[in-house]
Amino acid sequence: MHIPENYLAPATCAVMTAAMIPVWGHAVKKVNEVVPKEKIPMIGVGAAFSFLGMMFNVPLVGGTTGHAVGGTLIALLFGPDAACLAVSIALLLQALIFGDGGILSFGANCFNMAFILPYVGYAVYKLIMKGKTDEKGAKSFIAAGVGSYVGINLAAFFAAVEFGIQPLLFKDAAGNALYCPYDLSVSIPAMMIPHLVVAGVVELIFTIAIFAFVKKVSPDLTYDVINSGAVTAEKKKHIPVFALVAVLIAATPLGLLATGTAWGEWGADEIAEIVTNGKTLGYTPTGLESGWSLDVLMPDYTLGSMNEIAAYILSAIIGVALLVIIFKLISIPMKGRKTA
Amino acid sequence: MIPDWMNEKDTYVPPKKGGAYLYKTMRSMGLIMSRITIQTGSEGKINIPAKWKIIVLLLSIIAISVTNNKTVLLFFAAATLLIIALKPPEVINRIVKNAFASGIIASIFLLPAFVTNPVGRMNNLLVLIKVMLSISLVSIFNHSTQWNHITRGLRCLHVPTVFVFILDITLKYIYVLGNFINEMLTAHVMRAVGKNKDKYGSIGGIMGVTFIRGNELNKAMYEAMVCRGFTDDYKGL
Repeated sequence: MHIPENYLAPATCAVMTAAMIPVWGHAVKKVNEVVPKEKIPMIGVGAAFSFLGMMFNVPLVGGTTGHAVGGTLIALLFGPDAACLAVSIALLLQALIFGDGGILSFGANCFNMAFILPYVGYAVYKLIMKGKTDEKGAKSFIAAGVGSYVGINLAAFFAAVEFGIQPLLFKDAAGNALYCPYDLSVSIPAMMIPHLVVAGVVELIFTIAIFAFVKKVSPDLTYDVINSGAVTAEKKKHIPVFALVAVLIAATPLGLLATGTAWGEWGADEIAEIVTNGKTLGYTPTGLESGWSLDVLMPDYTLGSMNEIAAYILSAIIGVALLVIIFKLISIPMKGRKTA
Repeated sequence: MIPDWMNEKDTYVPPKKGGAYLYKTMRSMGLIMSRITIQTGSEGKINIPAKWKIIVLLLSIIAISVTNNKTVLLFFAAATLLIIALKPPEVINRIVKNAFASGIIASIFLLPAFVTNPVGRMNNLLVLIKVMLSISLVSIFNHSTQWNHITRGLRCLHVPTVFVFILDITLKYIYVLGNFINEMLTAHVMRAVGKNKDKYGSIGGIMGVTFIRGNELNKAMYEAMVCRGFTDDYKGL
């Protein structure tokens, strides 16, 4: 679902980024009010879950790949506002270091995955729970699953719409699209079918599994508990949670099993050969060909000729460590909620 | 009988910002002192002996600087970031600041190459990363090892005794003389009123007294060492 560089017109990118600015402002303010100071570094661990979830690519119908985002999961652990910040920073790292998603399209990616996904996912969860926050039974897991499924599909829908309006708005003199060449009739089914069938299910399993694990081993890390104010001032060690992160890091090479490129994430060199509805596109859109792109350090989580599995694991460690460092640094100036 | 001048109303108002320089000096002195004293408390319960840390640190820095293999570099980057991520936020802040400061200096050096040779940009970036990694590793070592353990570790590695001795005494004297300077500055601030026109004079005074004091301490220590059997030979230390 990461929209790469040059697939969206700069104008679209500008609009999406402008839309995100007030959201980020609101999220920072709310996190400062709601989340206790000593919990803010733990948001980095939530962002790490999201980062790792996005590294597990699963093969989808039609030769493309997809992945979980984990936005709803972070919303369940630290609240939707913290989830917005966590996913945004995870996306920023991916764009800057690993070339996953563009720099210009960063605002659009954040809009889909850091705004729509966690807020919708959490709203659905709340709706199903109907304000009952202390329920221990299976209902909260069903609610979490449904929330994450609806969240990721709505995010995919928005991404599809952003792709789909490009050829309608931006064309050159010959009628060829300047940026993404597929209109809504192609992009919506191409994005939605795989997400409804596979990626949504992966997100659902990912969310429920980790949510259940965290709820069992560190119940003080769930948003319902944080929100109810039952936070103790004593420092708790979350060793099982870190152990889970380590296990996920070790398992990331599984994501390499899916070899295709996700829909809408092709490089400028492959797009002309993509087959849609039985015919190839046959041309490379000018915006893609001559567009701006940043040479990142580790494109596609690898470095040149090195062993893919080693590179993938090392990328995962670097990404997770950077996220934890960033959120630990963020926690210094943050005031956070006072614990009674 | 009260003299006239005692009955006169005093209209002297000390100018604002008087002594700002002294306060600034005191603050920076205090910062250095606190950095040295904080050192004693930063080791965890389980600690690798300083000598192994020094060996690993040196080998890592050599490996980082000579390697052309990106996998090795990536491994070191991952390991360094992982260690930093496990530190408390305040320590991370200091380590990251050091790393970025060194990165900025290195990038100033590399700027001409960056501008004139676009082909080698990726290579220059690697040099920058190597610098920042090495500095981060040294910072981590610094923040997780006490001064006295560092000197002991160096001795275990058969670094010449004179060197270890000088390093150890220097570290201790930075603290002793720093405290002395701080006390003198405090005394000076308490006695100074208004604006000090002769700032450099006061610096000279303090430096001079500190030098004399250092000499005295030096002599006293040498005598104390001789009294305990020191024969101008550092072997037995």
